[in-house]
Amino acid sequence: MQVSLKNYTLRYLSIAFLIIITIWAALFYAFILEEVYDNVDDGLKNQKILILREVYEHPELLETNKYGINQFRITPVGDEDDFSEENYLDNEFFYMPYDDEMEPYRVLRTGFYAPDQKPYHLEIRTSTVEEDDLILNLTTALIVLYLVLVLGVYLINELVLRRAWRPFRIILENLNLYRFGKKEDLQPVSTNIVEFNQLDEEINRMWKRNEEVFDEQKRFIENAAHELQTPLAVTINKLEMLMEDESLTESQLTQLANSKSSLRRLVNLNKALLMLSRIENKQYKDVKRISLNHIIEEISSDFQDFLSFKDITLEIETHGNFDVSMNKDLAVVLISNLFRNAIRYNIKGGKIIVNIRQNHLLVANTGNQVILNREKIFNRFHKGTQDSQSNGLGLAIVKSIVDTYPELSIDYRFEKNMHVFSLEKIR
Amino acid sequence: MKVLIVEDEADLCDVMKSFLEGEKYIVETASDYASGLAKLANYDYDCVLLDIMLPGGTGMQLLSELRKFGKVDSVIIVSAKDSVEDKVEGLELGADDYLAKPFHLAELLARIKTIIRRKSHHGEQAIQFKDVKLFPEERKVLVGTDEVQLNRKEYDLLYYFMIRPEKLVTKTSLAEAVWGDDADQSDNLDFIYSQIKNLRRKLKSHQAEVDFQAVYGVGYKLV
Repeated sequence: MQVSLKNYTLRYLSIAFLIIITIWAALFYAFILEEVYDNVDDGLKNQKILILREVYEHPELLETNKYGINQFRITPVGDEDDFSEENYLDNEFFYMPYDDEMEPYRVLRTGFYAPDQKPYHLEIRTSTVEEDDLILNLTTALIVLYLVLVLGVYLINELVLRRAWRPFRIILENLNLYRFGKKEDLQPVSTNIVEFNQLDEEINRMWKRNEEVFDEQKRFIENAAHELQTPLAVTINKLEMLMEDESLTESQLTQLANSKSSLRRLVNLNKALLMLSRIENKQYKDVKRISLNHIIEEISSDFQDFLSFKDITLEIETHGNFDVSMNKDLAVVLISNLFRNAIRYNIKGGKIIVNIRQNHLLVANTGNQVILNREKIFNRFHKGTQDSQSNGLGLAIVKSIVDTYPELSIDYRFEKNMHVFSLEKIR
Repeated sequence: MKVLIVEDEADLCDVMKSFLEGEKYIVETASDYASGLAKLANYDYDCVLLDIMLPGGTGMQLLSELRKFGKVDSVIIVSAKDSVEDKVEGLELGADDYLAKPFHLAELLARIKTIIRRKSHHGEQAIQFKDVKLFPEERKVLVGTDEVQLNRKEYDLLYYFMIRPEKLVTKTSLAEAVWGDDADQSDNLDFIYSQIKNLRRKLKSHQAEVDFQAVYGVGYKLV
């Protein structure tokens, strides 16, 4: 279970308070009781001296054999054996009319020899603390103290920590909002708490480092692709010149054509890489309201030759308009890549269904029955099982275009034996 | 027809030069900004092929200098960058076309022919081979006096053969020139065969004297 930091500390604090207060209460109780008995006992011993003195002066006091208002009694010793002049202190309960119940008393028992040389028992009592009441009261007081403490800590947490952690929540929100190279939407973190400032600084530094590495890599890909263009141009054009030679044999010419065709794949790969870096560098800035319905209409006629060559039926079902604000070139690339994909992985005599609804486009195609990995098909250079001709970048370009516009999303699923790509406008 | 190639890559310059000379053009070359500027200032060309990155300057600068002289030479920018900005800038400075490296020589030739034709004011120039006449402005094809109805792709295909009759046109060049990027989806280029077949059938039905000759599995020639 996940708990917020402030509740997390509160949980441990309340347990700690409970233990501390319990131990403290036990010790406190023991000390208080010790002190109380000590005082009471001293009082009783003092009274014993006073009583004995009085008895010597007024022997008629020996007749006091009941606790009356005197709080002592003197009884003659019947049996010599249990006589002792030692002080015995004890707790006993006596009936108290005021409370109408038995109350605890401290009792001092001792023996003495009266002036007539006979031994007497002397018992002196005094009312003392009611231990159970004391415990009850003490416990109540401590429970109240405990609750007040926990509540206090909770409130302080709520008020102080909420304030103190505010920058942290801003940092979290910023991390959530952060998109590569885009920092405009982020709130500045202004706080005098050192740790949060450090955290924010470190995160910014990390972003910067990552962006630098990424930019460098992007530049590298772009430069590499550019640098390849000229040598490719030279090689392809020289091959073309060679192929003009009328005296070439079939096998020579075929080999030249094969080399040229391989180079063409390299050129296409290069173009795709450049396209990707251009999309990622946001070089397609010109954004207009685009009707995907129109683009689909235009593009489907461009693909007619390929469709009829592979004997594929194309069904376009229009149930609404899909308008989106984006760059026209990118829209064309997006739709043609989806079409190209649907044709390339189709079977002879297969079918493509294009379904357009408001803010929703489905491109479904027949093909082999292997369900594609929807996590990976949009990755660069992810290749399915049986295509050697694809450069593995077509869907990566689609994804990259879709990612350029936050309101668009693309997904893949396998449904009714067809591979379905769905493009959606969320907002 | 005189063509100037301003290109610092010697190999590419050579291959373009010998190809265009094979197509009966008079070709001069310049390998840097200064020599390019000197040639442009002193001579007139029907077409100038300008590379963007040059030692000592850029093709864009050369282009604006050229226009400052008040010259109207047709210019095709040939660049390895293929970026939208370059294309827009070049066309704004008055370039007639923009060709990204690498290109097919057949494509280069088609572009040169198109812009030279557009610049010359001698009315419609038909391209003729045997009894087939092709009118690029109207996208019209005549066999003798009969008009042949061709769709867009068939017309483009025929155009590529007509500008280089009796020469080998490879399937890869055709695919790229006519179908552009869409072509890379086709694993083999067999679909071109069915297009050629359609075109041949249409020309045959008008008793055209021309025919397509397959050159092994590599491409076709218009004969």
